[in-house]
Amino acid sequence: MTHRGTLFFVLGALAALGAGWAGFPHVIYRSRPQPVEFSHKVHAEKAGMKCEDCHELRADGSFAGIPRLDKCAGCHAAAMGTTPAEKQFVDGYVTPQREMQWAVYARQPENVYFSHAPHVKLAHLECTACHGNQGQSDRLRPYQEDRVSGYSRDVWRGMKMNDCVACHRGHGIENSCLDCHK
Amino acid sequence: MSAKRYGMSIDIDKCTGCGACMVACAVENNVPPAPEGANDRKGITWIRVFRIANGAGKTAFVPVLCQQCGANTPCVSVCPQQAVQVDPATGIVGQMPERCLGCRYCMAACPYHARYFNWWDPEWPAGMEKTLNPAVAPRMRGVVEKCNFCHGRWHAAKARAAAQGRRDIDPADYVPACVEACPTGAIQFCELSARPDGPGGFRLLEKLGTDPKIYYHSQRDWVREIAAAPGGKEKARG
Amino acid sequence: MKTTRRDLFKFAAGGAAGLLLTPAPWRLVTDTALWSENWPGIPRPVRGELRTRFTHCTLCPAGCPVKARCVGDQPIALAGLPGRPLCAFGLSGHQLPYHADRVTEGDIETVRTLVSKRAATESVAVLDLRPGRTASWTYRRAMAALPRGIYLAPQSAVPAVNLDAVKTILSLGVPVLDGWGTPAKVLAARPHFRLIQAEPMESHTAMLADEWLQLRPGSEQALAEALAGQGGGERTGLSAEQIGSVARQLAQGGALVLATQESPAVIELNHRVGAYGQTIVARREAAVPPSWRPAAPTTALDALPDRSIGVLLIDESAADVYLPWTALESKLAAHAFVVTFASSRAGYGRYARLTLPAPVFPESSDDCVPAVDSLAATFRLAVPLVTPPRGVASPTQFIAKLANLPASNALRERADAIHAVGRGTLQQYADSRVVSIKTIKRDEFWKGLNEGGSWTDDAGGKMPPLEPLPSAPAVVAMSREMRAARGPMPPLVSKLYRESNLRVRT
Repeated sequence: MTHRGTLFFVLGALAALGAGWAGFPHVIYRSRPQPVEFSHKVHAEKAGMKCEDCHELRADGSFAGIPRLDKCAGCHAAAMGTTPAEKQFVDGYVTPQREMQWAVYARQPENVYFSHAPHVKLAHLECTACHGNQGQSDRLRPYQEDRVSGYSRDVWRGMKMNDCVACHRGHGIENSCLDCHK
Repeated sequence: MSAKRYGMSIDIDKCTGCGACMVACAVENNVPPAPEGANDRKGITWIRVFRIANGAGKTAFVPVLCQQCGANTPCVSVCPQQAVQVDPATGIVGQMPERCLGCRYCMAACPYHARYFNWWDPEWPAGMEKTLNPAVAPRMRGVVEKCNFCHGRWHAAKARAAAQGRRDIDPADYVPACVEACPTGAIQFCELSARPDGPGGFRLLEKLGTDPKIYYHSQRDWVREIAAAPGGKEKARG
Repeated sequence: MKTTRRDLFKFAAGGAAGLLLTPAPWRLVTDTALWSENWPGIPRPVRGELRTRFTHCTLCPAGCPVKARCVGDQPIALAGLPGRPLCAFGLSGHQLPYHADRVTEGDIETVRTLVSKRAATESVAVLDLRPGRTASWTYRRAMAALPRGIYLAPQSAVPAVNLDAVKTILSLGVPVLDGWGTPAKVLAARPHFRLIQAEPMESHTAMLADEWLQLRPGSEQALAEALAGQGGGERTGLSAEQIGSVARQLAQGGALVLATQESPAVIELNHRVGAYGQTIVARREAAVPPSWRPAAPTTALDALPDRSIGVLLIDESAADVYLPWTALESKLAAHAFVVTFASSRAGYGRYARLTLPAPVFPESSDDCVPAVDSLAATFRLAVPLVTPPRGVASPTQFIAKLANLPASNALRERADAIHAVGRGTLQQYADSRVVSIKTIKRDEFWKGLNEGGSWTDDAGGKMPPLEPLPSAPAVVAMSREMRAARGPMPPLVSKLYRESNLRVRT
């Protein structure tokens, strides 16, 4: 084999490695802005709210998830502050009674069944254990989703089945498939 | 949470063959209505009521669903994908369509013909998809599905217990759809581990040694003969 | 240095080798598999908070209470109450509004104009296939208000059957164990009566009956006549011994004869076996506002002269017993205009000029007639759980408007009239509480009814007399298959009819 041939081979390999490791993540993900620039920090500090005030566990064990319009409009029937983000929210959603279409970072596939109740009430996990420091952020981080599969980058990073299984095994909790699939 | 063995006790003498269990199961588990080409061999009926006759004008109806075999579970032993598993905590044989590759080996292995294949993508008429049950995921074409003892209701019962700080579910919260729908109470759901002397009755094809968890009862000798005989299927219409 | 094609290939080979060491190809394979899980063909169930709402089923005259599990306002599963389960049809009734064959379009305004014009000079007849509702009163009042209005119904009065007193039932083709009465009550009473099923084919009920008499097709009336002493038993294909045995069983008291058609022979037979007053009893009707009293009476089809009806409006939205089209056709004038309000074209839509879309369960706002096995009057609302699509017309409102009758509040007026009488109890399904209506206010009563509750009259007291022969009521019911053939069946019932051999469609 000539040096020239090897050179091109190596150049090709390097180009591919660069594209695959550095370039591919930019291409495979697309960003979507959230409908409203919501600040958790403002609500936690200024309004003195806790996670459960909006993200509650209902009596039947189901989880409220991201609150719907009536929860927010309960306080924000009119603008309570002076930020342009709040004004945009009131004008764009509260007044016309339009539901916000939040992009859910943790949205799992349809066949996955995750129940907050045993993790929060029985295992006493903190919200931050899986969701990170959302509660103290001033801005919602950008929502990036995989162009092909549609799942968010956050799921790829830390909420895949391997991650759940690793944590369960670490605590010695064995589960059957149907416990987490529906 | 202590391990349980869930099973059923079906009284053949009480079954009127009304089919409410079949429809309730389809509603709960998002089974689509029959597409164009569906017939009795290609339809999906996780629970299916068969009619048996003694040839002298007497009729009985036998609901057959996944027997939740406890020993030498045939479908588990043949699956190349490990898409079906016996849950040690409940005894339920759980089918995971998301792992299934559609080889249908399990359908051949199941002696009770209680497994069904999605020959087509599920199709609901426009608007009907709003009536789907969010507790159960719809399946795509090319995968096998079967009764899981209403795992959607099992999940809801566990979530309710967890919200109240309990690990053990309230038995009243976990009632499969067919049991709830039966107008005569012919199908009863029970926890076999809580009945030390067993639920009595007979089981289908007991000689095969699959240790099914569905126990059938009948006072009529001819019913028991047909159920025990390996050729009994020919006398069944359904 | 000139790059050659060989260099290009080497570059590409290096690229391919390098690519395999990056996440890209592996990730794309995984993504494609993940994409296939969610490809557009598979719908996603709507998520949301689960709520329970109560209503009553309107698919048959039993009017079973329904506990609907809803996501938001959309029912996703229906169930009965403990001890009162729903049948296979009721369990999937929430899917009916989306049935592929459902009629959703119809030019209501044009029909309204046309019918109004003709109503001034020609006779207008309303065919009510489920008499006894509050809507039935609206039709009767509307027909009384029109110059030549006629109210038609398959039966003049719907009697009650005392299941506790029944010891022998002779059913001439009625599916006693398969959709007659309130199925849960019938099955509970089953050990106490003997069922003789007389019909040509071995229906489901025939399989479960104590005795199946295989009649020659079409000879049900002949059997009734033979048993009533009018001879003709040889037409049934049964032997004299068989007919004699049936007659002896019926003579032992507690007998009831059911048929799919009202006929003098069946009425006479019921009279002979002493059914009237014992197993067929009268039932007080729930109170109506006094202003409703001047309403058109039920006209028997036979009493109408041939070729007399100019406009026929059929309410097929709640249909239990169908009159044969040939019988109706003979009463239609030469250029009669026939409109049917239905959700499917399979019933009278085959003969009517137009089918106007009607609400289906669970869209319909109606009240449920007392079930045939209910000895006391009941008032139960079918509370609409979903909004009907635009373009759907309520036949009650249409016909009321035709006669300039303000009837949009008819159900409320009826509830108020019942409350004014002060008899009976209200049962709330959410907590199974039963209260006497004397202890609650009018508005509470109405609210309770709308949340899924049922008013039952007190037992005892003065009952209306049973009509004397020959206008005594017969207990008539259609076979479920015949009824189902006219309307869209809930799609999942295909599990019974197509995807298994459990039911053979007759």
